[in-house]
Amino acid sequence: MFQNRNEALLLALPAAVFAAVIFLVPVAILLSESFRSPAGWSLAPYWAFFSEPLNQTVFWRTLKLGLQVTAVSAVIGYAAAFAIVSLPAGSKGRMIGLVMLPLMISPVARTYAWIVILGRTGIVNQALHGLGLTDAPIRILFSETAIFIGLLQLFLPLMIISLISALENLPRDVVPAARVLGANWLQIFWKVVLPLTREGLVIGGTLVFTGSLTAYITPAILGGSKVLMLETLLYQRVTVANDFVSAGVIALILVVMSFATNLLLKRIATVRTRT
Amino acid sequence: MSLRFPAALVLSLVILFLIGPFLIIVAASFSAGDTLAFPPQGFSLKWIAKVFTVESFRQSFVTSMILAIGGTLVALALGVPAAYAMSRYRLPFAETVRTIVSAPVIVPGIIVGLALLRYVVVPMGMPITLALFLAHTALVLPYAVRVVSASLANLRSDIEEAAILLGSSRLGAFFDIVLPNIRGGILAAFILGFVTSFNQVPVSLFLSGPGVRTLPVDMLGYMEIVFDPSVAALSSLLAFLSMGIVLAAERFLGFSRYV
Amino acid sequence: MSDQSYLALDGLTLGYGDTVAVEKLDLTIGKGELVALLGPSGCGKTTTMRAIAGLLAPSAGTIRLDGADITRVAANRRQVGLVFQSYALFPHLTVFDNVGFGLRLKGLKGAALRDKVEAGLTSVGLAAYAGRKPPELSGGQQQRVALARSMVMEPKVLLLDEPLSNLDARLRLDMRTELQRVQAQTGVTMIFVTHDQAEALSLADRIVVMRGGRIEQIGTPEEIYNRPVSRFVADFVGFENIFSIRDGRLWLGDAAVPLSASLPAAAGLAFRPRTVALGAGPLSGVVRGVSFAGSTREYVLDTSFGTIRADADASLPVHPPGTTVAFDLPIGQAACLKAD
Repeated sequence: MFQNRNEALLLALPAAVFAAVIFLVPVAILLSESFRSPAGWSLAPYWAFFSEPLNQTVFWRTLKLGLQVTAVSAVIGYAAAFAIVSLPAGSKGRMIGLVMLPLMISPVARTYAWIVILGRTGIVNQALHGLGLTDAPIRILFSETAIFIGLLQLFLPLMIISLISALENLPRDVVPAARVLGANWLQIFWKVVLPLTREGLVIGGTLVFTGSLTAYITPAILGGSKVLMLETLLYQRVTVANDFVSAGVIALILVVMSFATNLLLKRIATVRTRT
Repeated sequence: MSLRFPAALVLSLVILFLIGPFLIIVAASFSAGDTLAFPPQGFSLKWIAKVFTVESFRQSFVTSMILAIGGTLVALALGVPAAYAMSRYRLPFAETVRTIVSAPVIVPGIIVGLALLRYVVVPMGMPITLALFLAHTALVLPYAVRVVSASLANLRSDIEEAAILLGSSRLGAFFDIVLPNIRGGILAAFILGFVTSFNQVPVSLFLSGPGVRTLPVDMLGYMEIVFDPSVAALSSLLAFLSMGIVLAAERFLGFSRYV
Repeated sequence: MSDQSYLALDGLTLGYGDTVAVEKLDLTIGKGELVALLGPSGCGKTTTMRAIAGLLAPSAGTIRLDGADITRVAANRRQVGLVFQSYALFPHLTVFDNVGFGLRLKGLKGAALRDKVEAGLTSVGLAAYAGRKPPELSGGQQQRVALARSMVMEPKVLLLDEPLSNLDARLRLDMRTELQRVQAQTGVTMIFVTHDQAEALSLADRIVVMRGGRIEQIGTPEEIYNRPVSRFVADFVGFENIFSIRDGRLWLGDAAVPLSASLPAAAGLAFRPRTVALGAGPLSGVVRGVSFAGSTREYVLDTSFGTIRADADASLPVHPPGTTVAFDLPIGQAACLKAD
């Protein structure tokens, strides 16, 4: 550990100043703008924003989709992570590779694939028609369902990877020990596995939830111009209406929700380490 | 130990859900038909070939490459010294510095892009290209700091002291001793930064102008107008490109150790 | 400059922020001496060593080496070598390049460089390993490389941080002999830091016992081993029965020892278990436990004034637990302690 404070500052300041100037200051101004009305500083833009039914719908939809995607990815994530960690080392590595593979592919490409699958002439409609279940193509694209599926596919790998590392850090033999003591699998999950992997679940949950809240590409492609989420609404307000006040309001909501999620879940994760 | 049937079934379905869409895109890019469909109508390379003839794709590909490579290099030039200061010195306000440089990862990209456009580009007359470059650099900075920090944490710090006692200067010890040993971490940070920047959309949404667009934003725009398999073909090509880079890095460096 | 004060620390004070690790330390070391800084962790021995190396700037005091004040001389110009506890070999360089690292910085190249590096490696018996990388070597071999790497620089002082602590028993003996041989051949002044009294006793010409950032006692191994001057040093070198003297009587803690012998003018007395005379004497205790330790048996006795530890020759008959044994504390064989 070197002692020289000036040398340390000289090394660290360029990065800190860069991030502050390029990033923190403009974002802070944008956020402060949302408190401005012709009469001066006020919360009026927020009243105005939330009194608009469309905005309310978009807000609740964003929150709802975020929660749904997080919950479903946690359930699927545990099942998949359990299956993967019980594989032998070689195939475990390959399986982790397969789970991580989508993370390297452009989200535009990954989301685009769902048009082929869910579109009017897509695989799903062809299958339904072929089985005689439908006469005319049903509309799946440009709906909340489509966005949900897209987000789930986008963020599920993050949850699985977080849970795999949590399960791998599970102390050896706790599951057999609980089994020997007579617990059934449900009890083992609730009383042993879940408390011990809570940190991984929280990390994965933070990534999935904040990722879903702030997703742009998925609602843009799979929601179209009608089924909006907060980010697509922000984009629309700016490009269509030049409405920077609403944009500032949405930006603040997004930032507050991201930070709050990070803080809250960090809290939850550290509770266990203290007790 | 092999998996029991229900576990194997769940895992297969999950993998199908994650990988399937990508395979469909790959298959669709070899279609001979004129619209995007699956199963593909016939086999041809015409959509793959078409990708290379679309002028705007060529332009935005170059833009994205410059942003991804240049932005990541600048982020490393800023991030490596910062990571070094945080791991080897008693840095005053270390926590504040860490929070500032890692903040861009928490704040949604679309807000960063909009803020830059509105308060830097428009009032100060900064060229869009420069703003785009700075935004991508800020976006990659947290990854550069995090990965290089992890790499430094794995390296004993007393080897620098050993070098200094053998006559090395502080700077000489860094270049002769530290740098060769964190090369893998720096390369991993570069690849992670490159992939992040190249695939990034929200930051770049507002920072586009005539002739200035990143490739993913350009693809989004193209999809809205034309419904042919060329975007699928381009997506497949990009996917194979980034997979190739990551797999090569994993093979030669053990990339995943650093991420 | 005299040879007796080749290295002189004068009023050396060291600390991080508000915590003082070493306070006003005075110490002189002669040319060619082999000195051990001995003490438990946190006593300031490592901090002192880092200050001598120049890795830590003192907040007060001076360091003089070979007649020059080096207090403000940068670490890379001090001509002080340091063999780290972890050896700190450069993992990306071969053994040859590790040993040649400092020489290259001095401007040596070609045959001159090669000759010096090879001579250094030969002297530690590793000439055949020049092309290997450090991770391919055993711990003992790595330490020899680190030693050679420092020694080829011909330092005025060689510092060693816990040189034997990472080695197994057999290698310890090898390394001890090695260090003594290097010192005899080159006459380099050596200072090593250790928390292990056996290591200090077996290797050093002179031992500096440190405690809480101050020097507790300086002496030859014999002096430290046989005549500790304080309760702390006595305890550290294995005097397990330590008494204080008050009002002309001997006390173990707050209990008076019923012994009517004339006591020396000291603040306390310390007895090794081995000097406690078991079998006869004015005192008695009940055997709480006995364990066999090869040539001796180690007894723990409960007495009216507290617990006494005594060793008896293993050839003597055993006193089983629960029996009462008479014993004596021979004042003449005790170490006299000054006030703490």
